[in-house]
Amino acid sequence: MEPDVIQIAPYVAKEEDFGPQLITLKSTNNVKELQTYLRDKTTSRSDFIFYADRLIRLVVEEGLNLLPYQKCKVTTPTGHEYQGLKYEKGNCGVSIIRSGEAMEQGLQNCCGPIRIGKILIQSDADTHEARVLYSNFPPEFSSRKVLLMYPIMSTGNTVTKAMNVLKNHEVKEKNVILLNLFCTPRAVKSLISSFPGISIVTTEVHPVAPNHFGQKYFGTE
Amino acid sequence: MALSFYSAYHLTFYFFFLSISSFFLSLYFFLSLFLFLSFSLSISFFLSFYFFLSLFLFLSFSLSISFFLSFYFFLNCYNIICLLQLNSSLSGSGEEIGVVVRSCHDDLTTGQPLSPSKLPKSPLKTRTKRVRTTSSSSTSDRVVQTATRTLYTAGRPPWYDSQGQLKEAFVIGLCGGSASGKTTVARKIIEALAVPWVSVLSMDSFYKVLSYEESIKAAHNEYNFDHPDAFDFDLLYETLKRLKEGKMVDVPIYNFTTHKREIQKKTLYGANVVVFEGILAFANKKILDLLDMKVFVDTDSDERLARRLRRDITERGRDLHGILKMYSKFVKPAFDYYIAPTMSYADIIVPHGGENSVAINLIVLHVHKQLQKRGFKLRSKLALMSLSGQPMPNTLHVLEMTPQIQGLHTLIRNTSTPRNEFIFYSKRLMRMLFEFAMSLLPFKTVNIDTPQNIMYEGKRLDTKKICGVSILRAGETMESALGEVCKNVVIGKILIQTNFNTGEPELHYQRLPRDIRDCHVLLMDATVATGAAAMMAIRVLLDHDVPEENITLLSLLVAVSGVHSVAYAFPKVKIVTTAVDKEVNDQFHILPGLGNFGDRYFGTSSSAMVAA
Repeated sequence: MEPDVIQIAPYVAKEEDFGPQLITLKSTNNVKELQTYLRDKTTSRSDFIFYADRLIRLVVEEGLNLLPYQKCKVTTPTGHEYQGLKYEKGNCGVSIIRSGEAMEQGLQNCCGPIRIGKILIQSDADTHEARVLYSNFPPEFSSRKVLLMYPIMSTGNTVTKAMNVLKNHEVKEKNVILLNLFCTPRAVKSLISSFPGISIVTTEVHPVAPNHFGQKYFGTE
Repeated sequence: MALSFYSAYHLTFYFFFLSISSFFLSLYFFLSLFLFLSFSLSISFFLSFYFFLSLFLFLSFSLSISFFLSFYFFLNCYNIICLLQLNSSLSGSGEEIGVVVRSCHDDLTTGQPLSPSKLPKSPLKTRTKRVRTTSSSSTSDRVVQTATRTLYTAGRPPWYDSQGQLKEAFVIGLCGGSASGKTTVARKIIEALAVPWVSVLSMDSFYKVLSYEESIKAAHNEYNFDHPDAFDFDLLYETLKRLKEGKMVDVPIYNFTTHKREIQKKTLYGANVVVFEGILAFANKKILDLLDMKVFVDTDSDERLARRLRRDITERGRDLHGILKMYSKFVKPAFDYYIAPTMSYADIIVPHGGENSVAINLIVLHVHKQLQKRGFKLRSKLALMSLSGQPMPNTLHVLEMTPQIQGLHTLIRNTSTPRNEFIFYSKRLMRMLFEFAMSLLPFKTVNIDTPQNIMYEGKRLDTKKICGVSILRAGETMESALGEVCKNVVIGKILIQTNFNTGEPELHYQRLPRDIRDCHVLLMDATVATGAAAMMAIRVLLDHDVPEENITLLSLLVAVSGVHSVAYAFPKVKIVTTAVDKEVNDQFHILPGLGNFGDRYFGTSSSAMVAA
């Protein structure tokens, strides 16, 4: 019997306004505490990294749920059968330099030797226009599922730019999963309207995003 | 005799080799002759060449053989000469020497190491004893050595019933005059009981702290240590009561030189049998009510004085005059006024102290009967208790089964998953479990200031401290995941193992942080099948005064029966897991389960378990 391939897991819609593309992490007290630590002015840098890594791990685990898998049966050491499932191979991560790189470790802690591509986007100091300076992707990029990593979205400009780069490399919109920590409603709206196929995993949609994330995480305040 | 055998044995060898060598030598002569003839006759050039070659081969071969033989012959001649010399110098002991030589020979040929005559001692036996200040007994140490075995606080069987409620300990009170041999009787009882978990409480620990004037009086042997007023009966009552309830107690250590309590205390854990001994053990009505069995040790007063003299001079460094003064002034009157009358409360009076084996056997028989009445098979009862169809308790929190979690479960449960992957994926699952468990702890709402200059309403953990306690061995694997979620977390350990004879869990070791009563305790075990080990661990925590609602039991996989028994016994303990399986087989393995987690994680074989 051929096991049926399930393309995408059923979504858990929290914010009705944004449709099924947006998946917000269940706001448990634990998640809320992590967010509090990351937003707090007084958090020390070592604490900030510790709690950021924890939150990143939760987002990555949630994002991995969206990857394709097959049902399968395995035998346990007691000799009994267990109805399980098996994930498909052929995924990759893409981090947007610099803050996206903070999430790479979290992804590698979950998936081991997953391939990771990179995009460097910087906004022009005068025009505030985002420009792609560098990109490097794994082989057979277009056929892979892509976990795009970028922790903070205020306007969504950077991610929009990165999506355009991915589309130039013939990656399908529906194969992109954006892993994000904090985003604003404005960024979500603009992103979903431009790329209706994309899935976004985030922990919080809040009008003010903690823009100091990259600086505090890498200590360049 | 042996020598002649030895030399004969060698001589046969020489003759054998000599004959062989002479054979080769003659062959050599014959061949050289033949060669010479063939050459001189010059039958053909080819033939002569062939014989020349063969001659050369024979020559080299026989030469090497003869060299070897001569060397061997020389060596053995030398040996024989030495032996003969020895034999002549030690006239009449020829047999012995032969034996010595042969035995050495045997050892060299077999090449086996000599087996050690003594087995290595267990570390428990060799450890140094704690410095003691009071009684001469060794029974109040938690390790009791007897002629046949070492009894210690290891392997404590369940001391609570299947509902997790405490069974009361059986308390034996031992009373008797000073130096009457109470501690000897106590030791003999413990020895004959053969119950591994016994606590001994001595009344010596409960002397009152003396004021300056009193301690000066004590130094001049004018303070009455044998009067009921010298004891802190309130503290004694509280301590004994807690011990009877099976809880942990801190027993003060009394210093007889400063007449104060030491700063550090001795920790005694609850036990199935508590032996309480002291000169005024029966003097207080409240304490009398706590005793299940009252034994009075009656020894002749002369014998007691003799023993007291010996003990006080050798062990406490007092002088004869002082001891006799104290004896006539305090000890003897106190015995007559306060101790001897309490004999009427006793159930059994043991004359002649520890030598009275009949009385001790009677006591032991009675205690065994009482213990049998209280004890029962716990684990099998737990397994039977699970009733299908009962709703799951609301203290059970199961991690949402997302595709990722199910994928991890598939990898961990699969018997053909290699070990490195098993470790990697089980760690991932543990991380998710801890993140989930953290969200169940109490939180408070806080308002914080952000770098973006807005106020943010957030949450903060509302506990002073979090402490992890792992149930060895499988629970230990979860410690690193806890460390990834809680910064600088304190970790305690409890070792519980299944006794394969009884199938019951037994407590072997515990090391918990001092301030555990103020902590939120995350109790970790990889799997919970019947819940017997988890219940024992929870019971240990409760005995350390951790409130039940502050305990969270974390496990990767639990069976329905385990959940029910734990939740039934401890309804306030939170159970957090990633999956619940339906069944437990008769070896108490979860079905379909994941096998023995510890064995798969640490790469140890489970063949010993299968054999048992």
